[in-house]
Amino acid sequence: MNVLKVSGWKIAAFVLPCLLIYSLLVFVPILVSFYSGLLDWNGIGAAKFIGFKNFEKMLTNDPIFWPAVGRTMLLAGVSMCVQLPIALFIAILISRYVKKPNFLVSSYFLPVILSVVVIGQLWKTIYNPASMGGMLNQILESLGLNSWTHSWLTEPKIAIYSVIVVALWQYLGYHILIQFTGIQNIPSDIYEAAKIDGASGMKADRYITLPLIVPIFKISVVLSFIGSLQSFDLIMVMTGGGPAHATEVVASLMYNMSFLSMKYGYGSAIASFLVILCLAATIIINGLFSKLDKRYS
Amino acid sequence: MKFKPLMIALLASALTLGLAACGSGSNGSASSNGGKNEGSTNSQSNSGTKEDTSKKEVKITFQNIYPDPTDPKYKMIRTVVANYEAEHPNVKIELDSLNTDQQKVKLKTQAASKEVPDITIVNPAAQMKPFVDAGLFAPLNEMVEKNGLKGTFQEGILDYYTFDNNLYALPDGNNIALIYYNKKMFEEGGVKVPTTFEEMVDVVKQLKAKGIQPMAIGEKDSWTGSFLFMNILLRTNGGPGFLQDVIDGKKTFEDPAFTEAVSAFEDLVQAGAFQEGATSFDYNAGENLFKTGKAAMYFMGSWATGGIEESTANENQNVGVFKFPTVNGKGDPNEFMLAPGSAFAVSKDSKHLEETLDFLNYFLVNYPKEMFNLKGAIGLAQTVDGDFKAAGYSDMAMEVLNLFKDVKGGDLAFDNTMNPGTAQAHLSSIQNLFVSKTDAAVVAKEHQTAYDENKE
Repeated sequence: MNVLKVSGWKIAAFVLPCLLIYSLLVFVPILVSFYSGLLDWNGIGAAKFIGFKNFEKMLTNDPIFWPAVGRTMLLAGVSMCVQLPIALFIAILISRYVKKPNFLVSSYFLPVILSVVVIGQLWKTIYNPASMGGMLNQILESLGLNSWTHSWLTEPKIAIYSVIVVALWQYLGYHILIQFTGIQNIPSDIYEAAKIDGASGMKADRYITLPLIVPIFKISVVLSFIGSLQSFDLIMVMTGGGPAHATEVVASLMYNMSFLSMKYGYGSAIASFLVILCLAATIIINGLFSKLDKRYS
Repeated sequence: MKFKPLMIALLASALTLGLAACGSGSNGSASSNGGKNEGSTNSQSNSGTKEDTSKKEVKITFQNIYPDPTDPKYKMIRTVVANYEAEHPNVKIELDSLNTDQQKVKLKTQAASKEVPDITIVNPAAQMKPFVDAGLFAPLNEMVEKNGLKGTFQEGILDYYTFDNNLYALPDGNNIALIYYNKKMFEEGGVKVPTTFEEMVDVVKQLKAKGIQPMAIGEKDSWTGSFLFMNILLRTNGGPGFLQDVIDGKKTFEDPAFTEAVSAFEDLVQAGAFQEGATSFDYNAGENLFKTGKAAMYFMGSWATGGIEESTANENQNVGVFKFPTVNGKGDPNEFMLAPGSAFAVSKDSKHLEETLDFLNYFLVNYPKEMFNLKGAIGLAQTVDGDFKAAGYSDMAMEVLNLFKDVKGGDLAFDNTMNPGTAQAHLSSIQNLFVSKTDAAVVAKEHQTAYDENKE
């Protein structure tokens, strides 16, 4: 393994500073927030140690918590099962049919670099009621589909889907870029060889592109899953978790508990849950993909 | 290859410089700190030649919620600070201007690490209690006696900021809730100013029938709906003190006064009073509907007067105000939702406690005068000398001023009375009434459960 021919000490000496900073900024706060989760604390005054009561209440006796987890998983599920296949499909189309793809890919990427606040405000205006100049409802009305109009962000049953659509739209370009780059990196001689054997078009995609893109696709899956679990800013800007918790996700619930209800300990317990969820998800996804990897290598 | 070490050294220094530049960019206070220290050594050597060298340099951080340049308070704070700095060359006041929500979160974070700025902003009663309990603020009992400052405050107002006979903060305002209405839109709708809540629901229906948006509200910031609801409760309860009775164990949220208020509130919502999608409008967006003449009525605290006065809706003195009416014949319109303002508090651990107290005293003595000049003196917590009419205040502003004379007590907002946990449950429960019709008994039950869980 020691291809560099350097002693372990030297490696340690060079790795150490970064490792120290990393653990100070990542592991220590996680541990501290685990500990805070064991406290009854308003964030300011004296804290009382109450053991696992916060966790107990969160898991068994909180009418808002599990629905929030459900919505978070919904967002993650939709983004993996709908957004990523679409992104992959577009990436394949671009790499096959477009001669100078850079412009297209950059355009798709544009929403990613926009501030979430800008995007939130933009879509809020689009979703507005027609009387307030909401674009979506006005289009529906001009098509004669008046019965399809909704106040998209404030009807409890559909508000969360309206937000999810925006989240998917924003990060679509990101995943297109990742997967497009992955496809570009597949050596073209494989396709040429396949052509000689009579496999081109869809067939080549099925047997060459898809298997070879698996490692890159895995990155996309992990990123989109973890990103969905942590989704917070968009929810905060568009609905603030409302109306009446109808769009509350785990991260926004954590924020509301810690800073608005001033239950810092309880908020920390939710944060700890989020950390564990992220870790578990990463391990499961990696496990699944290592099986896929084995099958195709 | 020979130059390699040199290159590395250059690269390293470039990186360090880059980092330093980034650091100062993102951390404005640190860099301005450095700048100020340099400046101060200069001024010290200058003044040393003139007079006393004994006075040391003092920097006071003043966290405030006046970041909006169109707000009279924005100009006021800068004028007063500049005047004070001119009189006290050794004192430097650094303003940390944030909007309300940011300031709340920032202060909580600072308080958690016991790094409260020299002067900060807190809200009255229950909202500032955790900070006081944590022993973060210095008592202002002695300071307020100096220069007759205490005498300028209205009677009783300081009680909301007093805990165990110690005064911990001084308010920037004292407001009441009222309803602003657009006279022209009322005329178009053929309706008159309602004198009872039932008439008000009727007015809403008539305006709605004529295609006029009856009321505006910014319900994404859920306190707005709660403020209105609490005014209804103030009526159905036949007077103030419902929440206090709950805290004292004399009443529960399942009391008829409470369920009656919920039903009345739902009548208003179901009559279509508020704009479509109200729960996605934040405070400013909601208020703007009224200010731009797109809604006929607006329920808000009198602090909105200044902004509405300057708005397009008030061209030709078009905006009037009326008191919140009686509900089911109950209550007294002269009892108002009271909103003692955000208040200035001083950190107990301030490095320059004495100077900070001296500055705050100066600031508040001059505050009403400056605000009067800037036409922002409606709803101050201090008495203002001067003739408002002669100074050019509008008819609406005068009406609001006259309402203040009728005030016979009232209630504070829910989150100023109850602990934060119950308050949040209440806010989301009321917000829910905007989007789904819920049985009043269920709402009452939600409140009671939240209260039982959160009381200490």
